[in-house]
Amino acid sequence: MLRTLALGLLMLPLVMMNVANAHGPTRQKVTETVEINAAPDKVWAVIADFHDFSWHPAVEKTEGDGGNKEGAKRTVFIKGGGQLLEELLSYDAAGRNFKYAIIETDMKVLPVNNYSSAIMVEDAGDGKSKVTWRGAFYRGYMNNDPPADQDDAAAVKAAKGVYRGGLDALKKKVEGAG
Amino acid sequence: MFRADILVPGMEPYGRVGALLLVTRVCPMRSTASAIAAVLLSLASTILPSPCVAGAAPAEALVTSQLAEKVSFVDLETLQVTGEVSVPGKPAGIALAPDRARAYVTAPEAKELVVIDVDARKVVRRLHVGNGPLGIAVHPLDGRIFVADWYDHRIAVIDAGTLAITSYVKVGESPSGVAVTPDGRFVLSADRDSHQVSVIDAATLVVVKTVPVGKRPFGLTIDASGRRAYTANVKSDDVSIIDLAAGTILATVPVGKRPYAVALAGGRAFVTDQYSQTVSVIDLATNAVIRTLKVGAYPEGIAADRTGRFVYVACWEDNTLERIDVDSLEVTARVTVPDGPRAFGDFLR
Repeated sequence: MLRTLALGLLMLPLVMMNVANAHGPTRQKVTETVEINAAPDKVWAVIADFHDFSWHPAVEKTEGDGGNKEGAKRTVFIKGGGQLLEELLSYDAAGRNFKYAIIETDMKVLPVNNYSSAIMVEDAGDGKSKVTWRGAFYRGYMNNDPPADQDDAAAVKAAKGVYRGGLDALKKKVEGAG
Repeated sequence: MFRADILVPGMEPYGRVGALLLVTRVCPMRSTASAIAAVLLSLASTILPSPCVAGAAPAEALVTSQLAEKVSFVDLETLQVTGEVSVPGKPAGIALAPDRARAYVTAPEAKELVVIDVDARKVVRRLHVGNGPLGIAVHPLDGRIFVADWYDHRIAVIDAGTLAITSYVKVGESPSGVAVTPDGRFVLSADRDSHQVSVIDAATLVVVKTVPVGKRPFGLTIDASGRRAYTANVKSDDVSIIDLAAGTILATVPVGKRPYAVALAGGRAFVTDQYSQTVSVIDLATNAVIRTLKVGAYPEGIAADRTGRFVYVACWEDNTLERIDVDSLEVTARVTVPDGPRAFGDFLR
């Protein structure tokens, strides 16, 4: 009875959960890329600041501190409600990439657990760039036999949507700026 | 009639003696007796499926690739993938039978234990085990299989011959890594969400003590002497070194971010740091980290080979198996393996 109640509480959509609790057995891997008709430095300049996520169409604003140093934290506020607390794991300005993790998730925003992500800009030759955004995470539902909106497929679909939406918007923004 | 060219293709110029020398070189021989047996068996047959015959198991890694749903076989001499077997159910954990002829793989999404004939490279049995079979270990003397159930919070004990579950041992929350002491007397379980290691008497199957360790212990490794155990603590980013006889912590060593598992070789502990993309090397004389090696992204399963000269690590995100030289502490080779390699447990033959 108590166990059922506990599980029921876990289902509340706006519960902020700590990372690294028991999770599903299979970690998911998602990678999305985009080619942009601009030099890598120009593309990197748009995304380089961990505390400026305004290039993503779903982001309302970010608040954080720590600059672009390992351990810096940012709260990402999503348009329409919801927020995520993220921590910068590594930052490589010369390599044009950084890696971060969600340390307080929100099932309404992204039905995932133990989520880490890396974004990088590479030279694709001919004045073009390739941006790769990849993530590693477990599904939102921490226990066995998950409901459809918090299973592995839902997690993968949500992450793909975030990356695709962001990368497509980044391309338009950089190429549009001329 | 013994034909060198059939035994080892391409060996014609070297003749019979050359072929036999090659056979003994590529197939690590466990003893003189097995070497002699290998030679006699080679002479007796004209065609062999491989140069390595029974009693002289080739040194290979069995890598569980969770996303690809495969177990691949990697020859450790050449560091090449030589074959693979399909294992539906998102395979993760692995342990080998004492004779190394069988591999036991956990497929948590299917809630099954998968038994693989290693020489034939075939799945021979699949059996339902609980709700979240993940960590797995095999008793070195009687071959019993211990499967940690992540969701049911217990260890299933499976008979090696009948493959029937004969009992369950209740432990702490979300048991992950499981290991058996070399003398076969105790089974240890890293109870991840209880932040402890449970010590189980292997004969009575009673938990005789619990040892508090760091936060969220996942991988668990016991040393060859059976005196110490090591846990990789995912949340506290450190390794707990346990004195098994005393049931106390000898040291807690900070390592990289989100450590997964520990391998032991050359008086050193090699720890995979998932988020840092590194392997932290601890000198066991001082219990201090002496080197942090850069490896592929999301390093997870790690183990020392039987020579103790090399440690192999599976990098889940980069899809590689990487070889670390224990003396020089460098990554000296890597090979691409199927998607999502975890190799959680005892995966080197």
